[in-house]
Amino acid sequence: MTALQPMIRLTDVDICFYVQENGFVSMKDFLLHPGKYKLLQKSFVLKNVNLQINKGESFALLGKNGSGKSTLLRALSGIITPDKGNIELFGAVAPLLGLGVGLEQELTGIENIKLSCALMGMTKAEIKQRLPEIIDFSELGEAIHWQVKRFSTGMMSRLSFSIAIIKQPEILLIDEVLSVGDLGFQQKCLKKVMEIKDNGATIIFVSHNFEEVNNMCSRAALVNNGTVEFVGTVKEVGERYHHLFDN
Amino acid sequence: MTKSPLFNKGFQNAVLSLALKTIKLRYKNSFLGVFWSMLNPLIFLTILIIVFKQINHIEHFALYALTGLIFWNFISASILQVLTSFIDNAAILKSINLHPFCFPLSAMVAAVFNLLLTLIPFFVIMFYLGYDLSWSFLAFFPITIITAIFVLGLGMLMGTINVYFRDIQLLWTTIIPAFFYFTPIAYTPELLSENQRFLLKLNPFYYFIESYHDIFYRSAMPSYENFGMSLLLAILSMAFGYVAFNKYRKGFISNI
Repeated sequence: MTALQPMIRLTDVDICFYVQENGFVSMKDFLLHPGKYKLLQKSFVLKNVNLQINKGESFALLGKNGSGKSTLLRALSGIITPDKGNIELFGAVAPLLGLGVGLEQELTGIENIKLSCALMGMTKAEIKQRLPEIIDFSELGEAIHWQVKRFSTGMMSRLSFSIAIIKQPEILLIDEVLSVGDLGFQQKCLKKVMEIKDNGATIIFVSHNFEEVNNMCSRAALVNNGTVEFVGTVKEVGERYHHLFDN
Repeated sequence: MTKSPLFNKGFQNAVLSLALKTIKLRYKNSFLGVFWSMLNPLIFLTILIIVFKQINHIEHFALYALTGLIFWNFISASILQVLTSFIDNAAILKSINLHPFCFPLSAMVAAVFNLLLTLIPFFVIMFYLGYDLSWSFLAFFPITIITAIFVLGLGMLMGTINVYFRDIQLLWTTIIPAFFYFTPIAYTPELLSENQRFLLKLNPFYYFIESYHDIFYRSAMPSYENFGMSLLLAILSMAFGYVAFNKYRKGFISNI
């Protein structure tokens, strides 16, 4: 048996939100008493998270709404830096966090592909090279030249999924976005995710659809109140997840 | 994270693409395009000529007023665009791993590009109003870069605070008309007494608008005072703006 090779390792990770709660009053205190008052109050979203996910694994995160799953994914994709602790990633990450984000209604499909790819950090040359592939995968045909405001919701999802998936990531983060498009496209997305997985990528999956999780993932973690409470097989975690809703 | 994102090819492309999007959207569905950006200064120019010409006994007052109006519009509009750039791009900020400096920077790039676009037809009008083209025109480029840095810094400073206190946006739109009359656009500084002129020079916008007056109205290089103060203000503004942005951007996601 080959040794498990870590792909993601979180050590004692704390993530805080910084909110200001007292409105303009706190601004006054902050300005009048320098050093005494903090402008922003800290509140913990994730506390003391330790987690290791291995290469080639499909890993699910289960937990109630607001338990910190999405924040965890944001931290893994680099959008949030942890306040304490360490996140180690041993490969390129592609986050599928919000489909349709960055799509501009007035621009055409093609223009949107170029814009979204640029926002994801791709250079002009890379975009030019990938463009036909994205158009092809989206199966939008002629509609790719339409303004996105004339797209149906499903068509928009097709477009954004095709863009997001294009980089052949080593780590794929999926936040409840697979239930998009019609049945045909859903299956295609799922197939694509499986294909990426079979190529050796690591997948982290957030979903409330237990059946989907059970089909795709081998291991899971239960996230509750900002901590990882339990890590185990999908079945074990699923049971504990259901217990959360017992009373 | 300490390394500046400015040297990253992907980041540069992201900034340019966002700026290009802003420009495209501004003109896409409007038939008259650039004309709309020109209309506002032209209407104001008419008002200024009718109302203020009697008190301003200078040659080519229309050229003086138009120069002030074009660049005042550029400065005041682009500060607002930079200021709101974080909030405008909230969705992207929350779900794409992109350095948030991209948003104010692309707003600034779009504003400069828009200025250059409208300047072309404005030149025709300026020549008609008596503009005397000279080599000092070349000072337009460094002055505009300095102005852009000043605007970017100030806009980022206010934009960062605005994420936490949305009052800033309203405050700014409320006081900007006051600054219009505090800046020599509708009148020349010579019209004022010594004491009043001293007050005028406490207004940072004074030096930028006067630098443009030097170039386009007086057909001269900007004076040492105007150029030096503009440069100093730009450096200070950028320093304060970037430090505030960098210190408080960790809370952007939880407050937007």
